[in-house]
Amino acid sequence: MKGYLGMDKMCLNLGPQHPSTHGVLRLILELDGEKVLSAEPDVGYLHRGLEKMAESKNYIQYLPMVDRVDYLSGFFYSYAFCNAVEILNHIQVPEYANYIRVMLLELNRIASHLLWLGTYLLDLGAISPMFYTFREREDIVTYFEKVTGQRLMYNYFTFGGVRHTDIYLNEVKNIVEKIYFKVDEYESLITDNPIFISRTKDIGVISKKKALDWGLTGPNLRASGILQDYRMNTPMYDDIEYDIVMSSEGDCYSRYIVRIYEIRESVSIINQCLEYLTTIELPNIECSRVPILNNPVGEIYSFVEAPRGLTMCYLNSVGEDTPYRVKWRTGSFYSTQILKEVLKGVNLSDVMAIYGSLDVVLPEVDR
Amino acid sequence: MLKQLYLSTKAILRGHYTVLKHLFRKPVTEEYPEIHPFLNPKFRGVHVLENCKGCGYCKRVCPSNAITIIKDDSLPSRYSIDYSKCIFCGNCMYYCPSKSMKMTEAFEVATSNKLDLSYDVENRRM
Repeated sequence: MKGYLGMDKMCLNLGPQHPSTHGVLRLILELDGEKVLSAEPDVGYLHRGLEKMAESKNYIQYLPMVDRVDYLSGFFYSYAFCNAVEILNHIQVPEYANYIRVMLLELNRIASHLLWLGTYLLDLGAISPMFYTFREREDIVTYFEKVTGQRLMYNYFTFGGVRHTDIYLNEVKNIVEKIYFKVDEYESLITDNPIFISRTKDIGVISKKKALDWGLTGPNLRASGILQDYRMNTPMYDDIEYDIVMSSEGDCYSRYIVRIYEIRESVSIINQCLEYLTTIELPNIECSRVPILNNPVGEIYSFVEAPRGLTMCYLNSVGEDTPYRVKWRTGSFYSTQILKEVLKGVNLSDVMAIYGSLDVVLPEVDR
Repeated sequence: MLKQLYLSTKAILRGHYTVLKHLFRKPVTEEYPEIHPFLNPKFRGVHVLENCKGCGYCKRVCPSNAITIIKDDSLPSRYSIDYSKCIFCGNCMYYCPSKSMKMTEAFEVATSNKLDLSYDVENRRM
């Protein structure tokens, strides 16, 4: 096996214990000098059987588990599962609960993007931005703890609404105002930085066709120049005005730009929710009864636009207490698969820059 | 070329200014073991059980089967939560019909003895 200049090709195992893989991903790289000839992502080190687990637990028992699919954006998975059960049982969600849900989802999206921003810059060698993004994320996470009881595993959405309406709107207002200005601070550090630009511009380009072929969704797809946002198709977002952020280059830099602008978009969505929630009087509910679910026979497919792409929950019920089958479609799984194509022919030093820009979270890949 | 050099220098200087500003700000971190973190009243930590009627709802909604209720003559005689199984999801608290289950702000349950990892209420009307 001889490569360029008669040198031997080398097989390199990147991971599973590599600090930049944000979890346990093993990349089997075939190297010729510094060039990557082929890459094979090997997933499954974090498999917890969350789909099979659903078949032995009833709906109420399974609800706290779905936050664990992706620990950085637990609300999205809670919402997808709740929505599937609501459609199955024809449960109507009150309007105020929808607005609370949207507000929390968007806050969670900001928290998730902030964590991505910090750790991505850390992968590229910058230390300071991580501290700043974690500082702002801490405010959001502390707010989530105040409302739901825990920082990452919320268990707050229930079938037919939210668990209680004891939410602190003033705090959301403060957080949102702060973040809007802090994003400018991040941009002053990162966006025009020549080192960052040379590490990310024209690196890891994913063309329109490639992105569609490999099933990319979310910010990664929008960075490749395709106008697709599943919030458009979610009835919850009908009364809310927002812009869809899009970039056309498809490289690592445009994926960064899309996420930074999405934070600003989320801030405007939260402001609209706050406007509505402060005008109405929130009913003082406390969900304490076990909800009565008839669970008729049927198949439901519910979806939501999560920070890492389209999240879908397939639910198959045969009329029993437990679901017959639950299947999760997560964005990260598809972002991992495309590495096989994108990493061909790049330098080894760019592997982590490309992989980090796709915002993969491994528990979401393996479930 | 010169313009690019100017823009790069400007961007780097702007970044340095942003970072250096933080030298004169207060630290935002807390030194955990010395300073106990402030937790909100809704925090889901170790359980406290009062006036339990032994209906067993908590056992049915628990996702990890951590709750055991042993009954003598239809009255509960022993109630225990296994903290090696509990995931602190709060289902037992949320769905308790008599609101007798509460979760406190204590979260340090780590121990070197496995038998300490349980919350037991025994031999009284719970």
